[in-house]
Amino acid sequence: MKSWFKSGSPWIWMTAGAVSISLISVIGLLLLIAWRGLSFFWPSAIHQFDVQQNGQNAVVIGEVYDREYVPTTRLIQAGVDTKGFKGEEIERLLIKTGNREYVDLDFRWILRTDIQTQTKPSGVAVFERSKNGNFYGFVSQIIEDGKTIDNPSNEQLEELIERAVNFNEEALDLQNGPIGSINYRLERIRLEERALELKEKLTPEDSAAFNQERKELKANYLELEKELFNLRKLAERDFVIVKDMRGEQVRIPLSQVLDVTFPNDMSFITKAGRFLIQVSKFITDDPREANTEGGVFPAIFGTVFMVMLMAVIVTPFGVIAAIYLHEYAAKNAVTKVIRIAVINLAGVPSIVYGVFGLGFFVYMLGGSIDELFYPEASPSPTFGTPGVIWSALTLAILTLPVVIVSTEEGLSRIPSSIRQGSLALGATKAETLWRIIIPMASPAIMTGLILAVARAAGEVAPLMLVGVVKMAPTLPLDGNFPFIHLDRKFMHLGFHIYDVGFQSPNVEAARPLVYATAFLLVSVIVALNITAIGIRNHLREKFKSLEH
Amino acid sequence: MISVNPEVSSVSANQVTDPSQLTAEQTALEMKNLNLFYGNKQALFDINMKIPKGKVTAFIGPSGCGKSTLLRCINRMNDLVDICRVDGSIELEGKNIFDKDVDVASLRQNVGMVFQRPNPFPKSIYENVVYGLRIQGINDKRYLDEVVEKSLRKAALWDEVKDRLNDSAFGLSGGQQQRLVIARAIAIEPKVLLLDEPTSALDPISTLTIEELINELKETYTVVIVTHNMQQAARVSNYAAFMFMGELIEYSDTNQLFTAPSTKKTEDYITGRYG
Repeated sequence: MKSWFKSGSPWIWMTAGAVSISLISVIGLLLLIAWRGLSFFWPSAIHQFDVQQNGQNAVVIGEVYDREYVPTTRLIQAGVDTKGFKGEEIERLLIKTGNREYVDLDFRWILRTDIQTQTKPSGVAVFERSKNGNFYGFVSQIIEDGKTIDNPSNEQLEELIERAVNFNEEALDLQNGPIGSINYRLERIRLEERALELKEKLTPEDSAAFNQERKELKANYLELEKELFNLRKLAERDFVIVKDMRGEQVRIPLSQVLDVTFPNDMSFITKAGRFLIQVSKFITDDPREANTEGGVFPAIFGTVFMVMLMAVIVTPFGVIAAIYLHEYAAKNAVTKVIRIAVINLAGVPSIVYGVFGLGFFVYMLGGSIDELFYPEASPSPTFGTPGVIWSALTLAILTLPVVIVSTEEGLSRIPSSIRQGSLALGATKAETLWRIIIPMASPAIMTGLILAVARAAGEVAPLMLVGVVKMAPTLPLDGNFPFIHLDRKFMHLGFHIYDVGFQSPNVEAARPLVYATAFLLVSVIVALNITAIGIRNHLREKFKSLEH
Repeated sequence: MISVNPEVSSVSANQVTDPSQLTAEQTALEMKNLNLFYGNKQALFDINMKIPKGKVTAFIGPSGCGKSTLLRCINRMNDLVDICRVDGSIELEGKNIFDKDVDVASLRQNVGMVFQRPNPFPKSIYENVVYGLRIQGINDKRYLDEVVEKSLRKAALWDEVKDRLNDSAFGLSGGQQQRLVIARAIAIEPKVLLLDEPTSALDPISTLTIEELINELKETYTVVIVTHNMQQAARVSNYAAFMFMGELIEYSDTNQLFTAPSTKKTEDYITGRYG
């Protein structure tokens, strides 16, 4: 035993154990969010339950969403009749029944003991709707252009849905594209006119020109609006009649239907295909219904855009500061204090940066910019309000210490013989820096950037003060001049998780989205990091001399 | 007793035996009352010597005797050390290099230096050689190509690398890297070339190649070499200076220094009593 201790193997076991525990927790975390997030997109079977509850019979159709075991005693305390059941616990199922506008709750708990029969009926249709969530039921009729068709085939129904979806998409494109541009242009005209007015340079000719343009735009707008209404009307032509779980015939306008599936009749491969479609929809679609349905594309875009903007800001600042500290600053107590202060900055809670960003960037800097350059827009602020540029700046100062520290480390690793070699050839210190030192320190700079990106992408708290919103109507990047709108608010995956998970009106519906969004956020950060690590490894390969 | 390279001895037959008798034309560098301090510690004491033009001068002496420090004064590399202070003067062609109006960068273009360990830049072989020229703002491709070939030929490296000029300099062996560094130094055509123990990190065969190279370089440049290796000093140099504890003990024709040293200390050192 003593020799076993002496041999050092307990030490190896301990260190290896620590590594394993860390690995297991990371992998466990990833697996959990991946499983819970991704299984949401898998088309699950629709069950039909005959339920007898409190002496009443009912039919419940829906997905089994969750299951748990409840102690019988607790049920008795809650006033549930548990007569005739032995055992300490009763299984309870959470059924997602959909049909939100016709039932009290679209999620319903059923005791296993209340279930008389449970079947997986063929032909159950799941309608994904743009309003009120899913609808479950049996298709009985479709009304195509006023004509009623009994017992339609699935293909007929799908065809009509596709038609409506296409019209809806066209209408949406029209609304976001040309109509959005007209509104944007009208606002620009208003601001231009106001700017001239404030400078007291508004001539009657100008006024006339503005009015002329306005009139043209309005005319154009009316035309587009007519087209839009027309498209909507075309989309609203057809209906489907569905028999729901209460046995009633419900009329659903196809313009509200996004998709129909028959999960009970699907083979494994069809389900897999469906899964992929749902995942890609989640990634590319806009959110609907207070973020509890639809996709998260604006949040992905906002996260990546903001992080990249931050990287563009933080890299030059951090590198330049590190170069001064390491190469030029005198090696005395003041420099030491500054260096310690920089390192300590990394330990300041992020919400403090948020408060600073709001006070300094948004109100002071943004407010001054508005006063100087956008007086025409007042009282409504342009830059004097939270926006993507302020978020990027706030996170840039938050991550600045990381970049400075790792750049300095990189600079100090460069052998002095290389510096002297350059100086001995008649290069000045600045030339040596630009031609030799900075390129050689670039892998370390990239390491700093990787750490900065990882930190910034996961940071939510400060963003809530300086630019993130629950729902941004427009992306910071669009087709209207000047294309990049740094003053706009944006959506962020981290905030989206918080919003969906805690601010959602429909907690049960939102829960899988929380996992899915969390998984996506992790994936986005990993993807950003892998890109940066790839670049760094390439640079390292190039400047390998540091290793010896 | 150390044998002196016959080639060098034959040259030394018609050279000035006492370097202090060198005329102004024959002198590349002249140090006058040079004192050097690191903080409060004096490292060089009152050095007076003339370095002959177009010859190889070797500084020898035990570790810590100040020979490298003296060498680094010549291109003012000591400026990089904050606590270093220099008194006296070094005249390069009659101009004191410590004068205020001397531009250090252009001084170093005239006084090239090769260090103990090969220190190629993390660039291609080609870019390493033209580095000094690019610093001077020369970017004409034809001219640079010419210089690269000429310098690498002079450094006896051309045949080994001519097919892979764009490969990284780190792919070369230690000896090749050192020759590359010499090529890099001579590409800017300095007047004086300082070699600070250029072969101490190399194997015997690479050492031999570099020594042959030094013999050829003195045709064009004034070479000053610091070496630990007395055989090497005897083989490659025309003049030799023996330093001890920061003082210049003896400085004369190499042949004479090694065969008939005038001081006891020199004799002790070259016969291997200490050092």
